[in-house]
Amino acid sequence: MNGELLVIHELQVGHAGRPVLPPVSLTVLAGQAWAIVGPNGAGKSTLLRTLLGLQPPISGTMRRTSCGVGYVPQRHELDPSVPGRVLDLVRAGAEQNWSFVSPLWPFTVRRRVQAAMHDTRVLELAREDWRHLSEGQKQRVLVAQALAGEPRLLVLDEPTSAMDMASEAVLFGLLHELRLRRELGLLVISHHLALLGQHATHLLFLDKDEGVVRAGRLAEVAQDPAFVQRYGLLMHRPAGGDHA
Amino acid sequence: MPESLPNLTDFFASWELFREPALAGAAGGALLGMLGIYVVLRRMVFLSAALSQAASLGVSLAWLAQVRWSVPAWIASPTTGGTAASLIAASAMLAGRSSVATRRDGVLGWVYLFGAAGTLAVGTRIVQEVQDIETLLFGSGVAVLPADFASLVQLAIAIGLLHLWLHRGFIQVATDQDGARVRGLPTRLLDTLLIVSLAIAVSVCTRILGALPVFAFTVLPAMAALSLAVHVTQALPIAALVGGSCGFAGYVVAYRYRLPVGASQTLVAVLLVAAVHLVQRALSGLLALHNRKHHDRGHRHGPDCGHPAVPHGDHVDYLVGDHLHHPDVEACHDHGKLDVT
Repeated sequence: MNGELLVIHELQVGHAGRPVLPPVSLTVLAGQAWAIVGPNGAGKSTLLRTLLGLQPPISGTMRRTSCGVGYVPQRHELDPSVPGRVLDLVRAGAEQNWSFVSPLWPFTVRRRVQAAMHDTRVLELAREDWRHLSEGQKQRVLVAQALAGEPRLLVLDEPTSAMDMASEAVLFGLLHELRLRRELGLLVISHHLALLGQHATHLLFLDKDEGVVRAGRLAEVAQDPAFVQRYGLLMHRPAGGDHA
Repeated sequence: MPESLPNLTDFFASWELFREPALAGAAGGALLGMLGIYVVLRRMVFLSAALSQAASLGVSLAWLAQVRWSVPAWIASPTTGGTAASLIAASAMLAGRSSVATRRDGVLGWVYLFGAAGTLAVGTRIVQEVQDIETLLFGSGVAVLPADFASLVQLAIAIGLLHLWLHRGFIQVATDQDGARVRGLPTRLLDTLLIVSLAIAVSVCTRILGALPVFAFTVLPAMAALSLAVHVTQALPIAALVGGSCGFAGYVVAYRYRLPVGASQTLVAVLLVAAVHLVQRALSGLLALHNRKHHDRGHRHGPDCGHPAVPHGDHVDYLVGDHLHHPDVEACHDHGKLDVT
């Protein structure tokens, strides 16, 4: 897998043996930013959960990078009754496989936890209670948590839901910066087409009702009649430094 | 003339007599308090109630086997019966584990009802042990045998050490199951270890302390600890301390006011949680009062609220006095002092 972070071929996802989407094939390379777009109930979350290994595929093949996958869940999945400092949340992201059996593990990952917090600009919030942060800060903490495992592929589920436009732009800017600096592959579910047109390099368009799955370079998929019919024309204005 | 109630001097004068039961309450409370953190975090409060009722049924069946069928006590001991029944219940719950909360709650309810009704039904067949059945259900650690006390302490130490070693894994599974799976943690193994250790602790403590205080100790100290602690790791020793204190203080209160021990231990835990909650409400009230010095309770910060907007990281706060206020859906948070030059 030279530069290939995720390769899926004819992957069918669904529940109880019933597919919710036509087969999906795509390859995510390091440095690419894939946006997963589709109407509500299109099967985006089912696909994402399958790609993360949280539910089994119905058929098809899938290969993930051995260098790790970072997952950024939706913010509302955080339980506000669980106390914790920002540092604790980020440190939890550094736990991998059987690391929890080693009492020394938190000391060995200190540098990478600090780097993740630095890159997402939450270092100064380290001692803060995460529950008192703004939505934008919480989202950056979740990104830092995923980065603490030093993944090559970062998967984000609707990272800007319930955020104001300014915070959305800041977050997408940060993801863009991280992708370039860390040579990450990104896979993002989002409904914010204007920002995706600016920051995504590739697009996976899903529409369960129409039985449509389109995957490829953003400029190409955005011209697809099924996509245009659903969303209209997408302005593709790549952000600076993007050569993916 | 009414008989006067004994005082604490009397209690400690007879310490030799009360040592085992009082310390058993403390050890059981500490062990269950610590394990209760995971129970509360996973929103499976009913789990310990179901396990303790299953353990009660197991103990009752062990007595029935001894009384009716003359099975030797070393085979059908109450501890063996209780542990076996709670492990069977735990296995059923693990096998029937479902992401659908209502289905999971249904399984817990089924185990609880089967355990409670079964215990009472078996109790009618062992009339001479009815007192013991009541003790089992509602708790009465008046007298604890030295052997029972020793086994409880050994169990508390063994489970405590296991959880001290693996607590980071248990916390991950309890707070972020999906994230833990994506990161490759052995979530199923950790889940199994957690529920089995809980089942064993609950069964042994139910045998010694009774089902009611066992249920109380697995829920109430954790509630207090999670609201006091800064993070989950810190909540574990706090819950153990709170649980241990309630177990011991509950025994002393039972002696002082001639109350049933299990009820007394439970009431002490209930009152402690209520006190923690009230203190926290008072503190947040003081904070709100501080905020109201500068604006009304119903005031909502926004572009036209009259307070200067101050960019703070990726969001906007509002300067009130010399403090930054950050509005969210529910409250106005203090984002720290600002030195205005």
